[in-house]
Amino acid sequence: MARLEVDEICKGWDFPVIDELSFSVDEGEFFVIVGASGIGKTTLLRLISGLETPDAGRVIIGGADQTKLPPYKRRIAMTFESYALYPHLSVHENIASPLRARKVPAKERDRRVKEVARLLKIDHLLNRRPGEVSGGQKQRTALGRTLVADPEIFLLDEPISHLDAKIRHELRTQFHTLEDLRKVATVYVTHDYSEALSLGDRIGVMGAGGKLEQVGAPRDLFERPANLTVAEHLGQPTINVIGARLQSEDGTLFLRADSGELKFPVGKSNRALLERHGKEKITVGLRPQFIKPIEEAEDGAEPLTAEIDVFEPLGATGIMIANAGGVRLTALTNPEKHFEPGQTVTLAVDVDRFHFFDADSGVNLDRLN
Amino acid sequence: MNQTVRDSSPSQPAWFRNKRTARPLIVARWVPVALVGLPVAVLLAIVIYPTIWMFYHSLRDTNIQGLFMGSHEYIGFQNYATVIGSDRFQQSLIHLVQYLTFGACLQVLIGTVLALTLYEFVKSNALRTAILIILVLPMMLPPSIVGVLWRFLLTPSNGAVNQALLNIGLIKNHIEWFNAGVSLWSIIIADIWNWVALPLLIVYSGRVSLPPAVYEAARVDGAGQWKVMRRITLPMLKEVIAIAFILRFTDAFKFVDLVYIMTSGGPAQSSELPTYIAFQRGIREFAIGEAAAYAIVIFAISAVIITLFLKYMKRVMKAQGLA
Amino acid sequence: MIAAAAGRPKDAWRHVRLLFLAFLALWILFTVFPLYFMTITAFKTAAETNLTVPTFWPGDWQPRNFVGVFAEKTNFSALVDSFIIATANTALALFLGSLAGYAFARFPRQAGGENLAFWILSNRMFPPVAILVPMFFLFDSTPWGTDSHLSLILLYLVFNLPLATWLMMVFFRDAPVEIEEAAYLDGWTPLRAFAKVTLPLVLPGMISVAMLCWIFAWNEYLFANLFVGSAVRTYTIVIPTFTHGSQTLWNLQMAFSLIAMVPPVTLFILLRRYMVRGLSLGVVKG
Repeated sequence: MARLEVDEICKGWDFPVIDELSFSVDEGEFFVIVGASGIGKTTLLRLISGLETPDAGRVIIGGADQTKLPPYKRRIAMTFESYALYPHLSVHENIASPLRARKVPAKERDRRVKEVARLLKIDHLLNRRPGEVSGGQKQRTALGRTLVADPEIFLLDEPISHLDAKIRHELRTQFHTLEDLRKVATVYVTHDYSEALSLGDRIGVMGAGGKLEQVGAPRDLFERPANLTVAEHLGQPTINVIGARLQSEDGTLFLRADSGELKFPVGKSNRALLERHGKEKITVGLRPQFIKPIEEAEDGAEPLTAEIDVFEPLGATGIMIANAGGVRLTALTNPEKHFEPGQTVTLAVDVDRFHFFDADSGVNLDRLN
Repeated sequence: MNQTVRDSSPSQPAWFRNKRTARPLIVARWVPVALVGLPVAVLLAIVIYPTIWMFYHSLRDTNIQGLFMGSHEYIGFQNYATVIGSDRFQQSLIHLVQYLTFGACLQVLIGTVLALTLYEFVKSNALRTAILIILVLPMMLPPSIVGVLWRFLLTPSNGAVNQALLNIGLIKNHIEWFNAGVSLWSIIIADIWNWVALPLLIVYSGRVSLPPAVYEAARVDGAGQWKVMRRITLPMLKEVIAIAFILRFTDAFKFVDLVYIMTSGGPAQSSELPTYIAFQRGIREFAIGEAAAYAIVIFAISAVIITLFLKYMKRVMKAQGLA
Repeated sequence: MIAAAAGRPKDAWRHVRLLFLAFLALWILFTVFPLYFMTITAFKTAAETNLTVPTFWPGDWQPRNFVGVFAEKTNFSALVDSFIIATANTALALFLGSLAGYAFARFPRQAGGENLAFWILSNRMFPPVAILVPMFFLFDSTPWGTDSHLSLILLYLVFNLPLATWLMMVFFRDAPVEIEEAAYLDGWTPLRAFAKVTLPLVLPGMISVAMLCWIFAWNEYLFANLFVGSAVRTYTIVIPTFTHGSQTLWNLQMAFSLIAMVPPVTLFILLRRYMVRGLSLGVVKG
């Protein structure tokens, strides 16, 4: 049981992949790193585990600098995206592998393998080879191999993203309940924001520059994204992003969209922020759930006329994409009501929920001051 | 390439511009070098050293006494001039071309035809396997058995082949298989019998691993069998056939033992190949210098061909994701 | 009209089919005939093998030829010598080749890159004639001389070491590196991870490489003919020497050949599936 600190770690081959990236994970904490595919998440895990040597920076585990320690001397358990099960060994032998490596006596080994297998509901498969079990069972086996090892750090690389939706949800629930995972520092890597929001005690959003864009609690990240990348990465449907200009009319502040007629008044709560920033060009973000048909909205929302392009009824909710004065907006609606493309609706926009980003750097304005 | 990418971008961080290859944690950097170093050292000793030795003596008037007494003199390229100017060598080159055409090339052609016939027209799996095993048997025999066996079979006076041909009425008189002008053909026949299975086996396996989906698509399109063969099978087997050809072609340059056992190059040097002369001059007649010149000439020709072949093979393997 | 047009190519195809099948049948005959004649000759009496008109069925079956071959003690010891040389050479080639093949597969840059791998392979393709003479004098000057097991064990590395290195590289590349990495994270040291995970995965390939190397060494003639002959004799150089006075003892020669064929033929039948990969230098998957 130990705390993991990653200190300004760097790695590159033909170009920089991980650039002076730092974070720390406390004992018992479940830390999720979310980012697009191919952005360096797996490389980061490989650096922590010692499969790759960093070009600079340190990996500190339990207070000890383990940067120069080979992986087989670290007490790190990691699942691979491809599962990396030993095809010539049975499920039992696969799970037992870390125990054998550490010379745990046969009896104790068997007991712990069976215990973990029961926990993961694969105890009936112990004599099969990995080639003879399903994808979900393979992932459970891989997970079992890491759980049984009793490591200081858990690294999970996209453990459920290759499974079909039902098993994915089942395993996701299991991550919540696995005591072993909750006792040690865990780094969980995924490209799926909903996994991140659902599982993470804290989340780090990884951007294209090989750095963490923002680290924080799920709600924090969702409600106060540090920049446009984070805002765009978390949440489904994706946040509406509108390029706009600040205009003053009769003492009232307005935002006018760059393309088209769309115009919003600036809510009282945001006025000070925008004035402090002082630039005319601004990027505005608004999550789809804060745009609704007017009859679903509460009082005080700003009305807006729009023409519907697409409507997708999704059961629990509906997604409407509408054109409002040359700007395409995504809105969340009540699914009981049906809309037709081409239909004109009045939408209500909750102007107090706007996020404002610097038009050049994408940084959230409330971070700039 | 990587270097230019790195240098041309001043925006890259300092640690990256100054970075050196990180020290691997799992296996120290000297380990792969040592692992590869052992076989490389062995090959240097048993291939490169002798080649240099041969090159050295190809420039000297070395014979067997001279070699032991250490008395041999530099004579420039005289040995090469002797070799290249000699009728014997020029004749042997013609023999080599004959052998390459009817040995190597014909083997690949026959092997390909047999492989595809076997795959397309023989439907029973057990029968296919049985035929395959039978056809491959000769390949498992050493050249000394093949040579002795065919010398036996082709014995002009009372050999089995002549007798069999007489019996079925194909010939009226015994064929003198080991006369001048015929003996090289006898060697080629024995070699074809010995090695046709290599291209056969390779092309057959290549055909087996072609994806059936392509053929289903062709069937849906209503393409005829012959068209499928010409437009799909043969183009897709191109690389595989080429590899079989490369293997047979390079083997042909090494080919010497059947000549030695069946005819000893005779009669009157009429079935000699360049490699056999190098062997004969060096080992039997101990004209070391001249044999060395032969060897180096053969070596040079092989080097050009092998380089071309390996380039092609590299491309094929890259395309398959093997290299 | 339409039916005829549709029918014609099919008919033509049927003829083509028959033509090719006939060719295949003829070729099988061509392949089998020498083997058949070899076999019946092995059962003939010496006198019958020298008749002016050869017989295609033995008049007097002599199964004792197969025992008679070993009346000459050296014939049996030749098989033993061949076995020792082939086995030791295979072990050496496979050991060195696996080490280098592993390095090429896992650390291509540090191990010298693919050009070095291709160079190693190219050594197999060069004519051995080029090195016969110097190697003869080199071994002649060593304490064990040319006429020894060791000389051939080392010499056969010329063709078997490049083959083993190259093929093991191909087979190690087939074994995913992630599985090895998973073993490191389980706590296995590199050597133990190799033994526990990587080795079992490449074992089928390794066995096929071993069999190929063994067959090539078992069947080698050229080097053996020049280097050994009195203290050590491989069976390949013994075969052409079955004579009694000026007469060749064809029946014994063929009987001995049949016996010597057994190991490579058995290996081929058992392992033909893996062999194509090896014979095609890894390019064609069997």
